[in-house]
Amino acid sequence: MANILPPAERRSVILVMTYAALSLFLLVVGERIPTAALRSAGATVFEPFDRVALWGDRALMAWRENQELHRRITTLELQNRQLRGAQHENQSLRAQLGLPEWRGLVVHPVEVLALSGDPTPTAATLSAGAKQGVKVGDAVMTSDGLIGRVSEVYGTLSRASLLTDPNLAVACEVESTGVNGILRYTPSPLPRLLITAVPLADTIRLGERVMTSDLSVRFPRGIPVGTVTRMTRDATGLMQEIEVWPAAQLSRMRHAFIVPGPTMPVDGMVRPRLEFEPVRSAVTGALTARDSTKRAR
Amino acid sequence: MRPILGFMWLAAIALLIRTTALSSLATHGILLDVLAFATVVWALRHGDAWGSTLGFLLGLAADLDAAHWLGRHALGLSLLGYAVGRLSNTLVRESARTQFVMLATATALHQSWSAAFEWSGGVAGIPFLLTRVLVATLATAPVGTLLLMGLRRLTGRPLFGHAQRTSSTHPG
Repeated sequence: MANILPPAERRSVILVMTYAALSLFLLVVGERIPTAALRSAGATVFEPFDRVALWGDRALMAWRENQELHRRITTLELQNRQLRGAQHENQSLRAQLGLPEWRGLVVHPVEVLALSGDPTPTAATLSAGAKQGVKVGDAVMTSDGLIGRVSEVYGTLSRASLLTDPNLAVACEVESTGVNGILRYTPSPLPRLLITAVPLADTIRLGERVMTSDLSVRFPRGIPVGTVTRMTRDATGLMQEIEVWPAAQLSRMRHAFIVPGPTMPVDGMVRPRLEFEPVRSAVTGALTARDSTKRAR
Repeated sequence: MRPILGFMWLAAIALLIRTTALSSLATHGILLDVLAFATVVWALRHGDAWGSTLGFLLGLAADLDAAHWLGRHALGLSLLGYAVGRLSNTLVRESARTQFVMLATATALHQSWSAAFEWSGGVAGIPFLLTRVLVATLATAPVGTLLLMGLRRLTGRPLFGHAQRTSSTHPG
């Protein structure tokens, strides 16, 4: 068959067949190949170009964003005054009830350099890495809420898996009722964030806020995740599925905050590992209770 | 030497745009398939061997970036590059209509191939994925054709030249 073609065309056929064979080989064994080092090299090479490409966009948005931030600072200052009073009250009440003290979140600002994934971004390249103290498993959030978790750390950069990564699981609770569940992204039949396997008896209302739960072994408690937009029965008809609209705008991320986590729960009890993630076993392995204890110290 | 520099330049630009400007557009539902566009343009200009090479390398970079299904984009784009390169021998490559049809077909095929990997949830998932393919095709083909028309105006000369035997410009 190959002899029928002229030599130049034969070379092209051999070339494309080699590419096809290589691609098929990668499709079969690709998941077993460690590719983090290649991504690290790619992120480092592209970092200056990413910054240049983003510069124009950011300069354009800076004026509007500045006005918005001024307005927001004023609102937050007012809220902050009210919250300080509430905090004192909360501390004294918790002390009277013998409950452990609530720890605030420590946040480190980072820049979002690039988004990966097609068509929905599933990962983001962040402008801080091992040198800045970023660790695999740290939560990533914006001022609006959770956006994901650090999945790979390079020298001065890191890669975060976003909530839209189907392998990311977040233990959540509905703020007002305390209903617990595991939130995941499902790309099909429609892309959405779902809390599955919630008992039908649990009361949930539309518009209620969903936060990270104290049961999470990966995320600190109390980070806003989203709001309830829909409740439906699951395929079995015995449980319900809760659709959640993310609190953070995943389409417009320029800056984010890295939240070191997870820490040992304040009550000292080891939590069950509910947030099963099929692919990122390395991350799961990294976040054992022993690590949590070290961090808590 | 010149095609290699152009090759590297196009690949870098395509990957850069994909992870910066186009990713935020994609979250708003506007999907411009820059990988298919770059592969089609390169294959039309330099033939099947170069087309499949760029498709393969671009696809591999996209697969590495996505961290899942390594080889998915690489396979689709290398075959697309080869097919477009082969067809470019027999087409009027400077025609806007030809470019539109090639871009639309390539985008539709590439998006369908990518979407097939995300398909789960039975028949209910098909309308969403089909809409995605359609939107990407309807966005990429006209924008890509307009871009090529603009480039032709800007440079003042044909982008693709006359049809020739593609494999004479073989990579390596």
